[in-house]
Amino acid sequence: MPSSKQWLGAGLVALASSAQAAPSTEELQKQIDALQRSVEALQQQLQETRRAETTVTPPKGGDILASQTSSQPASIATKEDVDGLRSDLENYKYEQQRNRETKTALSSRALTIGGSVQARATYQDVPTRAGSTAVADDRYSSFDVPQATLNFSGSLYRDYAEGRNLDYRLAFAYAKNTPANNNSQFNVTDAYLRYSPFPTVTGLEEPKLTLTLGQQQIPFGLEAQVGEELRPVINSAQFLNGLGVGTRQIGLIVRGDYDPYVDYGFNYRAPLLEYAVGVVNGNGPNKSDDNSDKDWIARAALTLPVDYNSLFRELKLGASYYKGSKNLTRTAGGVTSVVDQGKSDRFGFDIYYNHDPFGFTYELAQGSDETLNGPDVKSRGQYLTLFYTFGEQWVKSFRGQAKYDDWWPKSYQLFTRWDQWDPNRDVAKDKTTISTGGLNVFFAETTKFQLNVSHTDYEEDNRESENQYLAQFQFGF
Amino acid sequence: MKLSQFIRKTTLLIGATTSALALFWAAPSHAEDKPATVRIAFSGAGTGGRPVGTGTTLAIAHQLGSIEQALKADNIKVVWNFFPGAGPATNEALASGLVDFAYHGDLPLIVGRSTGLKHKVLASLGRFGNTYFVVPADSAARNLADLKGKRIGVFKGTAGQLTLNRVLEKYGFTEKDFKVVSMNADTAKAALATKDIDGYITSPFDLEARGIAKVLFEIKRDPKITSVGTFWVTEDFEKKYPQTTQKVVTALVRATQFASEEKNRDQVFKYWAAGGSTPYSDFLKTWDGYTLKERNSPLLDDYYVASLKKAIDEAKRFKLIRRDVSTEDWLEPKYLNQALKELKLERYWDEFDTNGNIKK
Repeated sequence: MPSSKQWLGAGLVALASSAQAAPSTEELQKQIDALQRSVEALQQQLQETRRAETTVTPPKGGDILASQTSSQPASIATKEDVDGLRSDLENYKYEQQRNRETKTALSSRALTIGGSVQARATYQDVPTRAGSTAVADDRYSSFDVPQATLNFSGSLYRDYAEGRNLDYRLAFAYAKNTPANNNSQFNVTDAYLRYSPFPTVTGLEEPKLTLTLGQQQIPFGLEAQVGEELRPVINSAQFLNGLGVGTRQIGLIVRGDYDPYVDYGFNYRAPLLEYAVGVVNGNGPNKSDDNSDKDWIARAALTLPVDYNSLFRELKLGASYYKGSKNLTRTAGGVTSVVDQGKSDRFGFDIYYNHDPFGFTYELAQGSDETLNGPDVKSRGQYLTLFYTFGEQWVKSFRGQAKYDDWWPKSYQLFTRWDQWDPNRDVAKDKTTISTGGLNVFFAETTKFQLNVSHTDYEEDNRESENQYLAQFQFGF
Repeated sequence: MKLSQFIRKTTLLIGATTSALALFWAAPSHAEDKPATVRIAFSGAGTGGRPVGTGTTLAIAHQLGSIEQALKADNIKVVWNFFPGAGPATNEALASGLVDFAYHGDLPLIVGRSTGLKHKVLASLGRFGNTYFVVPADSAARNLADLKGKRIGVFKGTAGQLTLNRVLEKYGFTEKDFKVVSMNADTAKAALATKDIDGYITSPFDLEARGIAKVLFEIKRDPKITSVGTFWVTEDFEKKYPQTTQKVVTALVRATQFASEEKNRDQVFKYWAAGGSTPYSDFLKTWDGYTLKERNSPLLDDYYVASLKKAIDEAKRFKLIRRDVSTEDWLEPKYLNQALKELKLERYWDEFDTNGNIKK
């Protein structure tokens, strides 16, 4: 069979020879035949070329055969394909725009809405009337909604290049009236602006620094800094309320860290030093300062600079100091008035260790409060929590793995806590000790079930110790 | 209630709860030499968090269901974990005991071993290729020196970081000459479009077609620049379940052969393009001039070993690891050799020497 090149040559020769003189019909027919063969040959050549480009012969001996591979796609889109795609795209754009206008909540700035709700069942073997209406009888059990929160957060200015963002957060929490009625309060808990003067997106090795202005949790110890919805035990450590360090304050707090130990092989970051310094009103949330003194707070924490895979990973020692003042009042003739300001200082020490699956936290916090008449009141609270966690929810990489569905790994946490509070160390028999055992089941990203069994032992004479059984579901959004 | 009564009641309650949980969580018992599940980690994921791998023969094994087929008769469930956090995420999962087998790039593999993670190297997963350094489409830079002090994107802790360091060293620079910021591939491509970074190593063709980026320079087939991928098993799993380990490796080699046949070239690229981060057309172009067989070789040949040792030296020189890493007792080629024998593929893939040339 003649090759396509031969036919092409023949056709060209025929054309060339025809140019010499006027062709006869027979010659014209020959020329047409030759041209037809040329066209067929060219078509065949084109087909072979295309076939060669889409079919690659397996290479032999590992040679790199560039000519046998191709960068041409196997099929080419037609105009109809492109028009169809364009039409689909236009429909999609229209639908997106219409849905955005009619079915999307819009905000003036970047906004994330979140919140949590807790539903709780309690049984206790000592009767109580707390938290109910003014006229109530003893009860041993109750269903409650102890907490419902709603928060809004986002960036007022987002620095895409280096992450020196100006962020905001506004949060509300439900609270019962006292004495209770059918209504509730919805109080502002967090309301602050936060600026990051240091870059936050350039790498784990960069130190962090934030300035937070507004109403916020204070950097004292461990549990006081953790959001209520994230605390491991249903009832918080006693000293948080006893010393008031769990109360939000209004002021300016600088938080940062220094010399982070970075292990990119695990995406792990452990700052050698974390610090916080701040000045606050000191009289709690949602009100102006009640005197001319400001309260000062400082905290430092050291984390061992070890690899992620080390046994001592996330072993952290911290110390906190809160230098405060409070109004000392006197009541005379039914009128209460401020007569002076007295110190109200707090000191805390804490250890945190969390190496999956084991971990513990220990906190010691002491208070010293001046009184108008008499010696200072020295108080002390401390707790030790041991926990054993199994499941994958706390393994960041595992939790963040790619999935098609709304998948979330479960985790189960068994814990025990010993929590003691002494409101006045100079007074005998006034300590309260709560021993708690429990199970936390973390279902989805924002849903957990908690089962706590606690025994409260009062040193006071004539006060019976009590046992409490609590089951609580929490979901977030 | 007295404390003694409380303790008794509470003990009963906790005991009952714990027993119920123990029953609930108890894994189905299997014969001693068979695990209930095989957990495979893929250091990477599809765009948008899709559980799809790309660029390696393990991704092909996943798409073909090769390992599932091999373990079906033993009733062993295969669980795939695709980590958008790439190699560092696989290390974290391994440290928590959540992985049996995995694909890793060279740097996270080495970092993991340097910190005491225990695994055995079973097979090579990919090698060679071109290296493209891209810059935003309107960049005025004419060479790497013009980018000094500017921002270069890389996913720190991954093999990409080691590759970047090799490229920088080739032209006489180090990371300190630039602002090297960490970001994954999808973020880096978006950052090129918004000009939040000034340079990045990636396949460029899709970005060029969209007018987002252009190639500043290209390094054609340089085995000293590109790295080798690795397939490993944990020491515990290999010791406990050698037969299952063999079946997994044999299934992977079977899929690797599929991914090495030129007649499957188009299909292999389509499987990889399903991941979304690198489009089909980019595979066509970046693999132009290479055979599937040479780049998808599973062999633990001289080139693989030399590349791994070189990567260890470089990781230390670039201060990406803090202590020495030994390759002694790390490689376990017996499963691969058995698979090649079983599948009659002993001479199917060429062995390469330490310089990346075919051994003669």
